[in-house]
Amino acid sequence: MSDMIQAGLQHYLIVSVLLFSLGLFGVLARRNLIVIYMGLELMLNAANLALVAFSHFNANLNGQVMVFFIITVAAAEVAVGLALIVALYRKRSTAHVEDLTSLKY
Amino acid sequence: MNYSLLTVEILATLLGVGVLLADLWLPASARKLLGYVAATGVAILLTYALGSGAPADGTAFGGMFVVDAMSNYFKGFFLLATLVVLLMSIESSETLVGYAEYCALTIFAAVGMLFAASANDFILMFVALELITVTFYILVSFSRGRLGSLEAGVKYLILGALASGFMVFGIAFIFGAANTTNFYEIAAKQTELAKSPIFLVGLLLTVVGLGFKIAAFPFQMWAPDVYQGAPATTTAFLATGSKAAGFALLLRVAFGAVPDITAHWSRLILGLGIVTILYGSLCAIPQRSVKRLMGYSSIANAGYLLLGVAAASLSGGTAVLSYLGGYIFTVLAGFAVINVVVNRTESDDVSAFAALGQRSPLLATGLTVAMVSLAGIPPLAGFFGKFLLLKAVAAHIGTDKMFLLALLVACVGVVLSIYYYFGVVRAMFWPRNATDLTPIAVGGATRLAVVLCVVGVFYLGICPNALVRTAKQAVAGLNVPPSAAEVHTAAK
Repeated sequence: MSDMIQAGLQHYLIVSVLLFSLGLFGVLARRNLIVIYMGLELMLNAANLALVAFSHFNANLNGQVMVFFIITVAAAEVAVGLALIVALYRKRSTAHVEDLTSLKY
Repeated sequence: MNYSLLTVEILATLLGVGVLLADLWLPASARKLLGYVAATGVAILLTYALGSGAPADGTAFGGMFVVDAMSNYFKGFFLLATLVVLLMSIESSETLVGYAEYCALTIFAAVGMLFAASANDFILMFVALELITVTFYILVSFSRGRLGSLEAGVKYLILGALASGFMVFGIAFIFGAANTTNFYEIAAKQTELAKSPIFLVGLLLTVVGLGFKIAAFPFQMWAPDVYQGAPATTTAFLATGSKAAGFALLLRVAFGAVPDITAHWSRLILGLGIVTILYGSLCAIPQRSVKRLMGYSSIANAGYLLLGVAAASLSGGTAVLSYLGGYIFTVLAGFAVINVVVNRTESDDVSAFAALGQRSPLLATGLTVAMVSLAGIPPLAGFFGKFLLLKAVAAHIGTDKMFLLALLVACVGVVLSIYYYFGVVRAMFWPRNATDLTPIAVGGATRLAVVLCVVGVFYLGICPNALVRTAKQAVAGLNVPPSAAEVHTAAK
């Protein structure tokens, strides 16, 4: 057991930055609205991980309180967002960003 | 804890819930009445907040929520914008499905703005911004039957959620470096934090979230599409309340929490402001849709306001607040008219405004005053705001030549804006081939909204002293370093 590496703050932060980049890549590269939305959720969870890690290593519980706020807000955002995407799908029968072209100059 | 500090917020929330519940018991024929009730309620709150109801300065929730001159200044304008938007929405009470919910959501968004004006902590800032943004996802896509509205809603949703993702990640880094999220505590140790790269990265990511709200380059992509697709009343609220809330928070972070870093980054903010002005002004020129034109105009105006933030001085902050005050009246006057025309003609093309001078002199006057004020022509409110801003920018030319460039770009932007704003005025009074000359009947609520805003635009343009004085107090309360010019005069 003694040769196991103790996970330090930087390890958590590296995972968090990787998660964030993965989410951002999903938002930028994918074309389906639902998949884009999954990427956005991944970005929020990357922030949650970073907050909990900072909170633990700074010995300050405020960061974990913030995580609860983020989870709550993300839930509200998903509820509204999915409803919107469904409403668009009913009208347009598509959830692809290339088809969102009715607003132009 | 001192709950009396939150009186306005609590009353506004109760009003919103009340409107939502009243819809369950009232017959469908009384829906229009609900709009009047909501508007009256907000009007009472506005007089209460401006008059006896303004609580003495103080903090609540462990320093998270603060009441000071700044928060009171913004709360007055947020309630005013809500009032005018509710009055405007009565015009479409018959056509909008779920009108009571529209009123309730408008009030809930206003509650988010009120909290944003008082936010003194990154946690409350995030929650208040999300309350505004999530409510606006619904308000933007409220005309579900129209594809444009839904599409605008989805675009706002994706880009808004992306911006909050960046902001939350930034707040995590700020918390990690500073071990606090309170603005006052961060201000106390900003000299050591300015050396921490984690803190600076966090701050930059947070500014991305705020830049999205105010539609500054390079986070402006959503603005034209969303402004065009959303119902006109929502667009009016987006352009005034939501943008002002973004600036309220930006000022609190930039001038209250990290004034030294802001002064250090003034060239970055100035550069963003310059590009934003150029982008907004140049893209507005070929527009035919008036709502889309207002979207680009809103981007350009965010650029002017950023110049004031970049000045990082008392006069710069005062100019930003005074500009926002005049801007809110001006844009609301414009949209009160646009809303009626779009509702009647089902089009927001410039040709829909043809011969408006003959069809409804009141509406034409309202829109003309709005356009002239936006173009910055004296003696209207828009001129005075621009004058104060450019003066604050000019005071810095001696120390940094980039401010001279900003001044020149701002002047070019003003000249360009005269061209595209007057395109609308020309269509109203000198139409090329207007076919429809039937008069447009205007409802009492819209009439009141237009008159209120036009009077406000003239009043703030002719005697702006009271507003400027309040704005100065508000900024001084945030511990802004006085600019070099002001120290000079004080020394004499």
